[in-house]
Amino acid sequence: MKASTRRNLGLAVIPLLIATMFLQAAIDPSVREINKGQKTAFQGLSGEFVLGPLLGLQQAVAGLLWVRADEFFHSGDYDAILPIVRMVTWLDPHQLDVYITGAWHLAYNFTDSSERSDRRYIPASQRLLEEGDANNPEIYDIAFELGWQNSDKIKDFARAEYWYRKASTRHGADERGQAKAPVPMFVWHQLAHSLARLGRLEESVDIWKKALAMSEDFVKKNPTDFSRRNVRGSEVHNLELTQKRIFSRYKHELDWEVDAKVGKGVNRETGEPLSRDTFVFVTGSEVSQKQSAYAKAGLSAPAMAVGAPRPPAIEPTWNTAFDARPLFTAPKVLEVKGRFNVGDGARVTVRLHDDSYRTAQLKEFTFDINQDQTLMLDQHSVRAGTFGRKIDMSKDPKMYSFKSNIYYLVFEFNPRATSPFIQDRFGWSGEGMADPKYLWTDSSLQPEVRWIRKVYRITREQVFGGSIPESAVVSNEEYARVMAEPGPAK
Amino acid sequence: MAAAVSIQGLTKKYLDVWNKAEITAVDNLNLEVGEGEIFGFLGRNGAGKTTTIKMLLGLIFPTSGSATVLGKPVGDTDAKAQISYLPEEAYFYESMTGWDCMDFYGRLFRIPEPQRSKRIQKALEDVFLDPKAWRRPLRGYSKGMRQRIGIAQALINDPKLLFLDEPTSGLDPIAHRELRDIIVNVGKQGKTVFLSSHQLPDVELVCSRVAIIHQGKLLASGTIQDLTTGDTVEISADKVSDSLAGKIRGVVPAAELVGQRLHIAAADPSKVNDVVDLIRGGGAMLLSVKPHKRMLEDVFVDVVMNEGGA
Amino acid sequence: MVTLAIAKQTLEDMLRRKILLVLLIIAVGMIALGPSVGFLSPRESSAVLRSLGLAVILLAGLLITILSGIQVIPTEIERRTIYTVLSKPVQRYEFVLGKFLGGIFTVFVMIAAMGLVFLLVLAWQEKRFDPEMLKGVVLTFFQMTLLGALAIFFSTFATPVVNFFLSFGLFIVGNLSSVTDSLISNKNPATRIMASAVHYIIPNFGNFNLQNKLIHPSVEISNANVFIVQNIVYAVIYSAVLLLLAILVFDKREV
Ligand SMILES: Nc1ncnc2c1ncn2[C@@H]1O[C@H](COP(=O)(O)OP(=O)(O)OP(=O)(O)O)[C@@H](O)[C@H]1O
Ligand SMILES: [Mg+2]
Repeated sequence: MKASTRRNLGLAVIPLLIATMFLQAAIDPSVREINKGQKTAFQGLSGEFVLGPLLGLQQAVAGLLWVRADEFFHSGDYDAILPIVRMVTWLDPHQLDVYITGAWHLAYNFTDSSERSDRRYIPASQRLLEEGDANNPEIYDIAFELGWQNSDKIKDFARAEYWYRKASTRHGADERGQAKAPVPMFVWHQLAHSLARLGRLEESVDIWKKALAMSEDFVKKNPTDFSRRNVRGSEVHNLELTQKRIFSRYKHELDWEVDAKVGKGVNRETGEPLSRDTFVFVTGSEVSQKQSAYAKAGLSAPAMAVGAPRPPAIEPTWNTAFDARPLFTAPKVLEVKGRFNVGDGARVTVRLHDDSYRTAQLKEFTFDINQDQTLMLDQHSVRAGTFGRKIDMSKDPKMYSFKSNIYYLVFEFNPRATSPFIQDRFGWSGEGMADPKYLWTDSSLQPEVRWIRKVYRITREQVFGGSIPESAVVSNEEYARVMAEPGPAK
Repeated sequence: MAAAVSIQGLTKKYLDVWNKAEITAVDNLNLEVGEGEIFGFLGRNGAGKTTTIKMLLGLIFPTSGSATVLGKPVGDTDAKAQISYLPEEAYFYESMTGWDCMDFYGRLFRIPEPQRSKRIQKALEDVFLDPKAWRRPLRGYSKGMRQRIGIAQALINDPKLLFLDEPTSGLDPIAHRELRDIIVNVGKQGKTVFLSSHQLPDVELVCSRVAIIHQGKLLASGTIQDLTTGDTVEISADKVSDSLAGKIRGVVPAAELVGQRLHIAAADPSKVNDVVDLIRGGGAMLLSVKPHKRMLEDVFVDVVMNEGGA
Repeated sequence: MVTLAIAKQTLEDMLRRKILLVLLIIAVGMIALGPSVGFLSPRESSAVLRSLGLAVILLAGLLITILSGIQVIPTEIERRTIYTVLSKPVQRYEFVLGKFLGGIFTVFVMIAAMGLVFLLVLAWQEKRFDPEMLKGVVLTFFQMTLLGALAIFFSTFATPVVNFFLSFGLFIVGNLSSVTDSLISNKNPATRIMASAVHYIIPNFGNFNLQNKLIHPSVEISNANVFIVQNIVYAVIYSAVLLLLAILVFDKREV
């Protein structure tokens, strides 16, 4: 090639490059438009993110992907996060946060236009966590999350207790993912709480004591660890509170001023004074016993007054006088009116579902839910003895497709899920609850629990308008029986 | 006679990156190859033969000096249309069939159909490639078959000038002879052949003129006849006295006396007579008079050894 | 034409390689499996099918382009077949162009094959033909054309291994166009200059990623067709620049 030709070709490069710059400037706005609505992880998975794993850089790519998912958190684009979650957990099954966050999205962040979450995703959420837990069987985090989700979201305290207990046998992971450290104390605390929710109070107290002993031991060895001292403080408090509640809910009306005072304690079995401050709750008959024990030890006994004794077993004394009346004011718009004599702040669950709906346990993780299924769950707070509001299901046909012909509309109250100050009136398991019409005892767990529940069996036509006659009410036993039957195959 | 190749002061230096030393592969080479010549380009391994040919084809660029090929500067497309090249240890597109490969090269020479097919056919026949192999992929070819394809692709454009870089290396004796004959044939058609080779007997048979290069420098060039003249006659005699030896050295200075034996390599026949007369007259005993024909090989060894290259 | 003859030879040579066939089979298999991986995304299985298809085409296209782009010229030199070509009345620029075209033809054939399968699977799944997806495939092809030109340019002076990292690295950097675009308005002047340089000088591969719009019909851009044409023109001009540079470098290259 001649030198002059070479020079000319070289010079031709310059205007062409400038042209590309102008083109780039013209293209940029469109690219911005595309990226503004960037929704799917596959955008990010293209090219660099897919090639990486092929080159054996799974962990790095998983990390990058997870960083990318962060963008979607900020935009609240949860649909986009889940495929990333799936990819990341495939690429690197040891990223605990990813399972946890993904499951959290599934369980909490798909909602209808009134922020009611789409409960059809809960089995998937649980399954994702179970998969993560199976992949990380030494580490507590995911088991703990399962416990948390079951108690916080699902209110299935038996499953919560199962997972918290599992978590308590595990270890914490160090920076390199090795299971070395003992589990944090909050795992034990949650286990104790879940036991209390189940009405297994002795066990709950035992766990608190066990936790306290561990903290005592730790603080003795690490006297300058003030955060652990704090933990110990909260354990003392919780143990005390549980014992107080047992005492006041089942034995005596507690004279808070007197009985709850800190004093020199004695071992209840031996009568020996305890070496450290503790709480002593005594029944009427125990007072004299205690006092003589103190005397024997040459100590002055603390004041031990006893409130009015309760009957040895809680009797149904609290008439909740429950009722609920549903009315479809417009197609798929349900208005609920109810009364409930239980105390303000209690929550009544309103649940509407296909007759074929059953709480599912997935065998394999999948995002694939039955889109034709309808499952609505709402919580109504009791105020001044009444509850109820409008539930508009007409705006979210994807969530509420109403494809079934028959539905169950359930109003229920689970005393185990309610706040402690309400439980104070009738015990952890509703032992003190009475209701002329809608009391139902679930004896599938021990101790058994009393529910308040009213169930309607309604038709599709009724959902699309009109009142629902009381003749549509089915008995609690009938509903329980139907739910225990296997659902129709998909 | 016009020059098919004309080289002036051609030099190629390679920089050895690791050793930082310069290798002068071709050193100020001047050479002319006439049209219609079969020109032998000789040299030891690493002498710079391939380097020279590659410069003549524009595959690499000289450090200094210049050359013309068929009267045009190196790289000229018109000239290249009339040139062909068989690289040393040539390698072709393995997945192509012999025919397709030839067709591809035919296209590169811009030979239109149907002429192209005819040329391919003729070239393949000229190199005696078994027609059964024409449609088979080259990867199944033996070395000899490949070399034939190599020659055939060098014939397809009916070139005026062929550069053949060691075309006969690694062939069995029969194939070797066949290829040699092909080259001779090519020469007979009036084409110029620039043949680089170590096969000196071949060169002697085939070439009209040769050049010998060593370490990039041209050491000798000329017709085979020119180079191999100086055929000698070896005379040995016994019982040569010192005085006789002196006389003989008066005629042939290079005469060598070992003990009482005399060895003379005399080129000039008249001198042979004179020396024989002297020996017989001087009372010595004539042992033998042997004519000795110089081969190209001897010339080559002489030239290269004298340069002190070894 | 000599250039076309070289391109044809290159295409045939590439298509005979087993690795390409294997890639094609894997890619087509993955696309065909697309309908069964809807489980990846909870609510948008058609989006998964689309994005998977486009991603597979992109990925396979990427591998094919890089593999052929970094190899076509060095292979000729390594096997010394280039001697028999350049000694003939072939200009060096014709050789470079022929090799580039051969590589791009290869990429075209492969992308066309995968694209066809993808469009058929999609049409079969959704019972209608979606011409929008064709745009995505076409843009991917032009993205690969640009990448091929880049690899050819590097192959005129770099070894294949170095070339792989250069081309692939620039492909990734060039794909971060949305990042560089946002960095151009950064407060730090040094960042700004760096980002502008990367954004405007390095071939901007991110431009071609139309997947998001194609997968989510809700993503609107004002001038989709103009955008596509702009991108094609960009690819063509930038490839021309790279080829010019490749020709200039190769012209002085000893083989
Ligand atoms: N690319 C290169 N870089 C460095 N040195 C080189 C290069 N090519 C050739 N040489 C050197 O140049 C010299 C001449 O090599 P050339 O290949 O021309 O020899 P030749 O006469 O063809 O030898 P042979 O008969 O072995 O083929 C050798 O010393 C070789 O090592
Ligand atoms: Mg050589």
